[in-house]
Amino acid sequence: MRLSITHYSATSAAGIGVAALRKSLAERQSGLRRNDFEGCDLDTWIGRVPGVEKVQIPAGLERLQSRNNQLAWLGLQQDDMLDAVSSLADRVGPSRIGVVMGTSTSSIGQTEEAYTRLEESGRMRPEYRQPEVHNLHSPGIFVSAVTGLTGPSLTISTACSSSAKVFATAARWIKHGLVDAALVGGVDSLCLSVLYGFNSLELVAKDPCRPLDRDRNGINIGEAAGYALLTRRDLSPDAPFLLAGYGESSDAHHMSHPHPEGKGAIFSMSRALERATTAPGEVGYINLHGTASKANDKIETYALAERFTEATLVSSTKGWTGHTLGAAGILESVIAIDTLETGLLPGTLNCRQVDPEFRFPVMTDNVKKTINCAMTNSFGFGGNNASLVFRSRDD
Amino acid sequence: MTELQIVGVGTWSTKHGNWSEFRTGTQTGDWPEEVKLQPDLIPARERRRAPQFVKMAIEVMDQACKMADLQPDEIAVIFSSAMGDMQITDYMCAALAQTPKLISPTKFHNSVHNAAPGYWSIATGAFCPASAVSALEYTPSMALLEACIQATEEHTPVLCVTQELAAPRVLADVCSAELPLSSALLIAPAGYYESPLATLGFEVDQGTAEWPPLGEQVQAFESNISARLLPLLTALADGHDADLSFPVSTDSQFTVRLEQCTT
Repeated sequence: MRLSITHYSATSAAGIGVAALRKSLAERQSGLRRNDFEGCDLDTWIGRVPGVEKVQIPAGLERLQSRNNQLAWLGLQQDDMLDAVSSLADRVGPSRIGVVMGTSTSSIGQTEEAYTRLEESGRMRPEYRQPEVHNLHSPGIFVSAVTGLTGPSLTISTACSSSAKVFATAARWIKHGLVDAALVGGVDSLCLSVLYGFNSLELVAKDPCRPLDRDRNGINIGEAAGYALLTRRDLSPDAPFLLAGYGESSDAHHMSHPHPEGKGAIFSMSRALERATTAPGEVGYINLHGTASKANDKIETYALAERFTEATLVSSTKGWTGHTLGAAGILESVIAIDTLETGLLPGTLNCRQVDPEFRFPVMTDNVKKTINCAMTNSFGFGGNNASLVFRSRDD
Repeated sequence: MTELQIVGVGTWSTKHGNWSEFRTGTQTGDWPEEVKLQPDLIPARERRRAPQFVKMAIEVMDQACKMADLQPDEIAVIFSSAMGDMQITDYMCAALAQTPKLISPTKFHNSVHNAAPGYWSIATGAFCPASAVSALEYTPSMALLEACIQATEEHTPVLCVTQELAAPRVLADVCSAELPLSSALLIAPAGYYESPLATLGFEVDQGTAEWPPLGEQVQAFESNISARLLPLLTALADGHDADLSFPVSTDSQFTVRLEQCTT
């Protein structure tokens, strides 16, 4: 199974568009800031994308107003993605391109706001009665509407693996012939539900998060939007990068704690490698889930030790972006794919002393190295895991 | 058409507790007076705390698997709901507007859309892939299509759940559902299972199919988006073969051909 990736894009606290992201990674400039999200007084740091609230939803789509859709729209305007989608639609027809989006909380920020301004009768105010917004498919609806794509449109919401799983669904759709291509992506925006929710679980760090560090003490919540355009190989034979494999699994363990031996993570990585017909030693870089929570980071290294050797370099980039939840899959896929282009393997920002309990070595500093195969892991609440393998065309 | 099998089915609402009560109800109009929701798979102690949205799903998933006598560890899961757990959304948004620092951590982790497949995996010990999806008004047809494609392309049985709660008061302005309803279809690749309930052919083409009308006996569910798949379930319950087309987007339709297997 190999699919062409013709374009990719990411917008996060570490930069709006891929060029800005590259610069932040190269200069080790974090996008995290002390929490200044409106309506939230938690003592923590966040990965906020500046100016999201000023983004204008395109004329005619005002009914889809929400912070999440503003971020989706900001992201979609980067890296020539709209032009790429439009010229592909001219070639194959807008009904032959599917839309598969990932999100954990969709437009719930808008629902939260509606609840703070209810009418005396207890009903939503008329301006908030937006049936296409207050639901889980809001990102899929927005992206289909704004691009004019009329193929099947689906939103996957499996917590923090959501926008990694979009690649698996799109790959099956294309293989089956349902569509010729798919615009996949993910968008999750800051909202009170996740800030106070993760705080209630005592998983939020007071300081800038320190993934993989001995003294890590929790996550910083971030927001992001990202996209990739996938096509059948023969439609874009010259595309520089390929989706080579995907693996999905469940943990069968706990709603908010990973399997203690990383069994689900091992399954998802193994299935991805198998489908990609790729040996572990061929993988040059893995962008880890690496949230900076005590449990995740340790257990992820247990899982790595079961499948990989030290020839594979691994790191977490959440010190730049925070944990962008349902958008982490696409954001970190873009980071992984871009290592194939730039040869810049990002280290782990804010990791000063690697946890001695880890069973696998992790990178702290950036490394310059040409590689032709990269992976990413995304693991979510509910014990929901996805791993992806990307390769350069000419390897 | 791509050929698959239907090997199990489960359903629950406040009007029926299982498939046999649903079949009686749709055929005779006799619905039970009282329906409980006590999925055996969730231990009694945890059942009290588990959200209704999770219990509905586990109940219908368990019904479908027991009917087929397949082990959960060979079955992938596609869980679907347009709106997700509206009771938790309502709780979270109301609490955030009042006392955000007192949000319940249990309710928060249960708020993920994949809570039900998560509980399922924990209860059954299954490490299989599980997804949780929404496509608003197209949720039931897109979820079944997703399940059919996964069963075909991965050569695996897939348990497809589609469900919706009754909308809490505030959300009733954006969601019309008046009765909760949950259904599960366990589908498998052609030839996978010896004695399927039915064969299911499917294809997608250009077209603007209208949602097939609901039978008279299930009109009460019309306000619930997940009822849009009921014409397939009522045909299965009646023992009728059926050709049904469902819209999956503004210009694509999903056609299924149901052929009953006589046992």
